[in-house]
Amino acid sequence: MSTKVAMTDHLRMTRRALLRGAGSGLGAMAMAAMLAEEAQAAKVHDPTVPRKPHHEPKAKRVIFLFMEGAPSHIDLFDPKPKLNELHGQPMPASFGRPITAMGTAGNTLMGSPRKWKQHGKGGIWISELYPQIAKHADKLAVVRSCISNGLNHAGGVSQMNTGDILSGRPSLGAWVTYGLGTANKNLPTFVSMIDEREPFGNAKNWGSGFLPAVYQGTLFRQGPNPILNTKLGEGQTDERQRGRLAYLDSLNRGYMVGREDDSGLEARIRSFELAYALQSSGPEAVDLSKETEETKDLYGLNKPETAVFGRNCLMGRRLLERGVRFVELYCGSGSGWDAHSNLEGNHGKWCKASDQPVAALLEDLERRGMLADTLVIWGGEFGRTPFNEKGDGRDHNPWGFTMFFAGGGVKGGQTIGSTDEIGLKAVERPAHVHDLHSSILWLLGLNHLQLTYLHNGRAERPTMLGGESMLKELWGG
Amino acid sequence: MSQFRTLWRSVPFLLLASIPVAAEPAASFKPIQRKWWAIQPVAAPAVPQIDAAGMAWARNEIDRFVYAKLQGKSIRPSPMAERAVFLRRVTLDLTGLPPTPSEAQQFLSDAQPGAEERLVDRLLASPRYGERWGRHWLDVVRYSDSDGFKQDDTRPDMWRYRDWVIQSWNNDKPFDRFLREQIAADELYPGDKSALPGLGYLRLFEDEFNQANIYLRRQELLNDVTDNTAFAFLGVTLACARCHDHKFDPLLHKDYYRFQAFFANMKIDDEATPATDEEVAAYQAGMKRYREAAKPVLDKMDALLAPAHAKFRKEYTERFPPEVQEVILKPASARTPMDWQIYHKAITQVIVPDADVAAKKLNAAEKAQYKALQTELEPFAHLLPKPLPRLQIMRDQDITAPATHVLRAGAIGAPMEEVEPGWLSILDAAPAKVTPMRALNSSGRRAALAEILADPDNPLSTRVIVNRVWHYHFGRGITGTPNDMGLMGEMPVNRELLDWLTWQFTRADGWSIKKLHKRIVLSATYMQASDFRQDAAEVDSENKLLWRYPRRRLEAEAIRDSMLAVSGLLDRTMGGPGVFPAVPKGTEIQEGRHWKKASGPADEFRASVYIFARRLVRYPMLQSFDAPLAIDSCGRRQETVTPDQALELMNGTAAAGFAKALAARVANDAGQSADALVERAFRLTLGREPGTKEREQSVAFLAKQAPLAGGQKGALEDMCLSLLSSSEFLYVD
Repeated sequence: MSTKVAMTDHLRMTRRALLRGAGSGLGAMAMAAMLAEEAQAAKVHDPTVPRKPHHEPKAKRVIFLFMEGAPSHIDLFDPKPKLNELHGQPMPASFGRPITAMGTAGNTLMGSPRKWKQHGKGGIWISELYPQIAKHADKLAVVRSCISNGLNHAGGVSQMNTGDILSGRPSLGAWVTYGLGTANKNLPTFVSMIDEREPFGNAKNWGSGFLPAVYQGTLFRQGPNPILNTKLGEGQTDERQRGRLAYLDSLNRGYMVGREDDSGLEARIRSFELAYALQSSGPEAVDLSKETEETKDLYGLNKPETAVFGRNCLMGRRLLERGVRFVELYCGSGSGWDAHSNLEGNHGKWCKASDQPVAALLEDLERRGMLADTLVIWGGEFGRTPFNEKGDGRDHNPWGFTMFFAGGGVKGGQTIGSTDEIGLKAVERPAHVHDLHSSILWLLGLNHLQLTYLHNGRAERPTMLGGESMLKELWGG
Repeated sequence: MSQFRTLWRSVPFLLLASIPVAAEPAASFKPIQRKWWAIQPVAAPAVPQIDAAGMAWARNEIDRFVYAKLQGKSIRPSPMAERAVFLRRVTLDLTGLPPTPSEAQQFLSDAQPGAEERLVDRLLASPRYGERWGRHWLDVVRYSDSDGFKQDDTRPDMWRYRDWVIQSWNNDKPFDRFLREQIAADELYPGDKSALPGLGYLRLFEDEFNQANIYLRRQELLNDVTDNTAFAFLGVTLACARCHDHKFDPLLHKDYYRFQAFFANMKIDDEATPATDEEVAAYQAGMKRYREAAKPVLDKMDALLAPAHAKFRKEYTERFPPEVQEVILKPASARTPMDWQIYHKAITQVIVPDADVAAKKLNAAEKAQYKALQTELEPFAHLLPKPLPRLQIMRDQDITAPATHVLRAGAIGAPMEEVEPGWLSILDAAPAKVTPMRALNSSGRRAALAEILADPDNPLSTRVIVNRVWHYHFGRGITGTPNDMGLMGEMPVNRELLDWLTWQFTRADGWSIKKLHKRIVLSATYMQASDFRQDAAEVDSENKLLWRYPRRRLEAEAIRDSMLAVSGLLDRTMGGPGVFPAVPKGTEIQEGRHWKKASGPADEFRASVYIFARRLVRYPMLQSFDAPLAIDSCGRRQETVTPDQALELMNGTAAAGFAKALAARVANDAGQSADALVERAFRLTLGREPGTKEREQSVAFLAKQAPLAGGQKGALEDMCLSLLSSSEFLYVD
């Protein structure tokens, strides 16, 4: 034992732990077979052991389409005739008087001018803002009763990603990486991609918090070299680099003589081999040149309004295909959907930007036979208020909002939960963020109560003190 | 613990004024809890009697404790490491830099008795020592140059605390004094300006100035200070008792708030200065002269801005919840101690500097006027005195602290019984003896806490620092969880040794950390070879009993600083504001927002401890080698091996630059012969000459690589980068 890989408060250095370290950092890509074999061989409880799922998973991978800034549920999935009736009036006292981010609770109610239709066999209500997604209604389980604690974006985005409104805890993707390990050899396990500006909270949203850094997500950058430092330095060629790495390898192997017991040293040697591979596997994963024109058009790469998010969705699918377990795509990163005013213009833009790409992803995954075990999640950090802000916008609403789930064992064509008559608060089947997280983990084969990590004397779990009412309706459990 | 933080938010704000309810009855401690090892008085155990073989191996008392444990398992200790190995080990350990070839020459040729001690004395006297060991302490106290949270605003004067830490370690300030200054410098050493920056410790909580719910914000920052103080100084997870009695350790829910009450009267003070009274007087006189000379212009400016300030103040006051508005608006004489706490946290949001008000509240014409007046002021600018140095610290509002209540489930809206400041009940259930300090207008609470913590009979604070020092020397403490000496932490492997060292530290050595270092690094235990031994590993595979020196990777800062040092680039300037070495494009650090544009060598080559420590994003090279984020106390760093570290070394611009400089240095020292180049490069980086095979391989590499690398120079750079990336360079044997 030494301290080569101090993964936890219980230093346990094992060959397996080191290999895990070697294969990760960029999110625990590594030697899956060896890990599984060693995990079984492990006799002691060791949080660095990649665990088998707690139960048979329904989903093998996740793609979380995060609509940052908070879409208006009452303009997309949750029609409220009563709200239209009360348009222009103050909110009746019976609905309570919430404290809002902008102090707008005294403002008059604002009806939604949307045209609504029920779609698919399940009769799911979707407004005319999402015509393409509506065609896949029978794939969707729409949860209308989500609740969060974040009043502002910093807190809301942080909670949706990490469970806590204060940043610093491990992100859901990091927990999944910790819980399941990797499913590929040369890519990170957890990848985030943004489309506009830095999201609220930035790297904390894919951070590993108190979990070892090897579980953190990797932000794929735009451009041909999505992973940092994978582009050869100035004056370098592949041949030159290989010469250099061979020499380094001989130095490192020389140093290992007489130190063979120290698997950290072997892990370092492996880490350079993996790093070398990443230089090509990263660019390959995001290289869309091998995709057909039909596919590119399907995702809307041929139209300026859909090209950016469409490209990310297509890259997301490629990553999933290559064994990336957790992909998070930000749509409107940096609070794009935050329609405090001009909701029409704002949602007009972002719905257009996301409608075709999301629909394309659902279709593409299905025709490739991946939808059945790929969980697709759509949603923001909260919803928007029924009362107006600045006359034509809506304020933040964490008390009731909508998300949808598809694929990965989810029973489509169903609507779960409801909000009150004006869409302010969840009334039926409230689903806190922690419950959503525990449900997502469940679909991946993980029990949130068993997925723990000892930190500063406490067994921490992804759902903090919550997550006990999982949305079993999602999978009909 | 962060786990509980959400609860704060989920309790409606309006419950603040709810009626206190009775706390649960005082728990009585079980006998087993009273037997918790870490709270037993520190005794001076007898040094074990060991056999002749052991006595021949041992160099000091530490070794006799270690040997006795090893003997209990029938393991022999390892022989001394080679002198060159010891030199490299202890030099990296104490200064974070490898020995230079001339330092090696000096030590290896010193055959006189006491050579090791002379070496250690030289290392401990090096200014690099404080930079290295001060950084360890900065981990524990979550040091950061910024606020954290979303804004993560810069704290422009926080670095004076960092410099104070480095100086304190360099000066071997007795640890009890070091501790007292951080908790209560203002109360205990009122005239001593050199002690004042220590109070920066209390200011290291995460924060954001623009919070609306100030009652909650105050409680959260108190929690942060409470939690960290318990981790850092006591090595206990008191944070777990925020919502209920600790599940494992005998720490009561009530104890959390008794401990917190020591801090209950603190307010932020960003105007404090370490300047002398004369300097302050001179500054004030200078300002007076300036104001008098510029009075006509300043008066016009005030007249222009007064309505804008009023408007701003009104608007921003009204953004607060009614409870806070009321506090801001009521007359000073009517404010309660709690009101004052709220007032100070709120007022910085409503009374802001002229420039901010001008930008936000003047119309275009007024803005033009304001600008013109600024121009009119310019001729007086030369009269402005040099600004005083400022500190960012906490101090008391006045002598009366607001009440502290136990909070049900940690929720601010659910106060239970009121508590007085006090120590852990299991050690002393009575309230602490607090003497309000009228002359200083301070509650005296922190002074009382400082005295408790700095008491040589305090079983926790004394053991925890000794264990930390051991931890940094061996990569693992005598108890392996330096921040948790509780029942869920690791039991000490050698409790007698910890107690003996602690006793010596607080008694014989007068809390001198440097004396503790000397005891440790001059022990045979520390000087052992790190070679693997099957026989010993079969009994103690984790080397817990220290039958060999544990090899380990260097910390992030030591890796980067060592690279700078051997390539001849290291700028040894000490202190001052954080520096901003260039960051590669595409990292999570954004120039302009998180990072200033690097200004050149002055930013590029300073020791890593001086790199600006943004709370939520770290300088990429440090981050990839496991430098912690300053969210909560880090008592033990993770040590990971990852491909992104490899990529950083393979393709990163920083490493490439170091390699280039090293190559130039090697070429300059060694001339043209490949053999000499190889020899010099090995000596500078690895502190040894290359082995026969290595020499051949390296010479062959230079020849083979030259055509690929655009010539001999490129090949040498590639060799240098490889040496800097090699495991041998990054590991301490």
